Amino acid sequence: MTAVPRKKARQHTMRREQAIAYTIMTLPGLVLYCVFLILPILMGLYYSLTDWTGIGNKFNFIGLDNYIKVFTNDKRFGNALVFNLRYTVYLVIGIVVIGFMLAMLLNREMKGRSFFRTLYFMPAVLSMITIGLVFKQVYFYVLPSIGKAVGSATFSENIIANRQLAIYGILFVHLWQGVALPTLLFLSGLQTIPVDLYEAASIDGANAWHQFKSITVPYILPTLSVVLVLAVKQGLNVFDYINSMTKGGPGGATTSISILIWQNAWERNRFSYAIAQAVITGLIIALISFVQIKYTDRKKVD
Amino acid sequence: MRQSKRNMNVLAYVILILGALLILFPMYITVITTFKTSGESASSFFTLPRSFYLGNYQTVLQNPTLWYAYGNTIYITLFSLVLELLVMPPMSFALSRGIFHNSKMFKGLYFFFLLGIFLPFQVRMMPLVKLQSALNMMNPTGMVLLYLAHATCESMFLYVGYLASISPSLEEAAYIDGATTFQTFYKIILPLMKPILATVMIREGLAIWNDYMLPLLCLNRSNTMWTLTLFQYNFQSEFNVDYNLAFSCLVIASLPIIVLYCFMQKQIIGGLTNGAVKG
Repeated sequence: MTAVPRKKARQHTMRREQAIAYTIMTLPGLVLYCVFLILPILMGLYYSLTDWTGIGNKFNFIGLDNYIKVFTNDKRFGNALVFNLRYTVYLVIGIVVIGFMLAMLLNREMKGRSFFRTLYFMPAVLSMITIGLVFKQVYFYVLPSIGKAVGSATFSENIIANRQLAIYGILFVHLWQGVALPTLLFLSGLQTIPVDLYEAASIDGANAWHQFKSITVPYILPTLSVVLVLAVKQGLNVFDYINSMTKGGPGGATTSISILIWQNAWERNRFSYAIAQAVITGLIIALISFVQIKYTDRKKVD
Repeated sequence: MRQSKRNMNVLAYVILILGALLILFPMYITVITTFKTSGESASSFFTLPRSFYLGNYQTVLQNPTLWYAYGNTIYITLFSLVLELLVMPPMSFALSRGIFHNSKMFKGLYFFFLLGIFLPFQVRMMPLVKLQSALNMMNPTGMVLLYLAHATCESMFLYVGYLASISPSLEEAAYIDGATTFQTFYKIILPLMKPILATVMIREGLAIWNDYMLPLLCLNRSNTMWTLTLFQYNFQSEFNVDYNLAFSCLVIASLPIIVLYCFMQKQIIGGLTNGAVKG
């Protein structure tokens, strides 16, 4: 993630005209960034120290009470956190395994390859909300009628109305759409591997597994780290699919942190409390991404 | 050896075809259902429609909110992209070259902008609504500003990374000939940035067109401000029982993107993958 271009190439000093032009070029973006990104963050941090309900203008400064409450007296937050972690683990495994497998298959010399690529990538351009709404209906009408036809008790009912199964219903939809981009990333990673490496290896008598382990895997590692960062971020922030299919239900079984924060802020009038939850979540996510990036950066140096 | 390779190919085909069916099945169901009356759907869900019933589409197309949603989505997406094209490349150029010239200020600004990538959206989203309503900006134009502000970190990061590969010695020659910085940027550097411009435009364009959370936060109050994603969501809540109608709405709302994908498949795939690797 560090792309500082050429730190000390030469000791050029800027001409006055250049310095002025660069400043003018930067100003509009800087103003937008400060007003719409930095200011809301500061406002958020301030509100999180108050008891504002989000309505009216009256509120009191209550210090860290909201934060303390999140940690000591909020079962919902803990449940949502567990949901997100579980969801993210399943999602990451699913995306990496399915995406990589599809990429290996699509990388084979065979007829119809470009047709399959076109088709497999198509879900990526549709909006998550469209996909979520389609599958909501599929789970409601289509799957149960298939389930009844084959005589499966589990699938005869709407699986996203089932407390135990709802998470898998949502995960399936997320994977249905979400493996498209990782598959392509893996595919372009695979295409950077020189073909003669494999030829040389098979002349040396390396079997398929050895070739995979010592040629494919090292070449694919940088792509894998990109895919991991993307998938973890998606898993921890999942909102659109859940809001379009279950709205966090049944009985809170699919309440992710984003959904919980949303409900607290706009439906339960606990505006400032929701922001405190968001700050804590933000810190957790920042910590996870930091560790991830640090770890993969070290991998690349090896 | 050859035999086993052929077997592997058969296996590959079987898996790929099963996957393709898995992708096509929901699409098939969606499309055929739109051409059936609710009575026909109830009696035969999976078969092709007997009489291509167009009443569902008629109902959706006659809904005035659909046209507001189309208008708003096109307005927000196009306007955001145009402004982004005006603001972000010069800014990224200034940052990139400022850093090259070892300026502490531009180095600091670069990291200040980069910070935005790590600031979580959730913390921002609620104050953002208060801010927007205080500024009287809970409308499509306000959305344009929000998307533009968003782009300052992500697009900037992609642009600066790309600019590092364009040697500043090109510009030096222009400066010696007496060109100003602005002239040099627009005549020499910007044309060289075409590939990354395409990547960022495709990424941003799709992300903005398909976005749901920000419109839900800022535009849900009045149905004349809805975007296509909000329209789909609210339409389905309203006609939940009539799935023929609900599916028709989803098809109509997704049509532009699917058509675009058919025509610009290569560019779209390239744009999304390049952007992801660099971001």
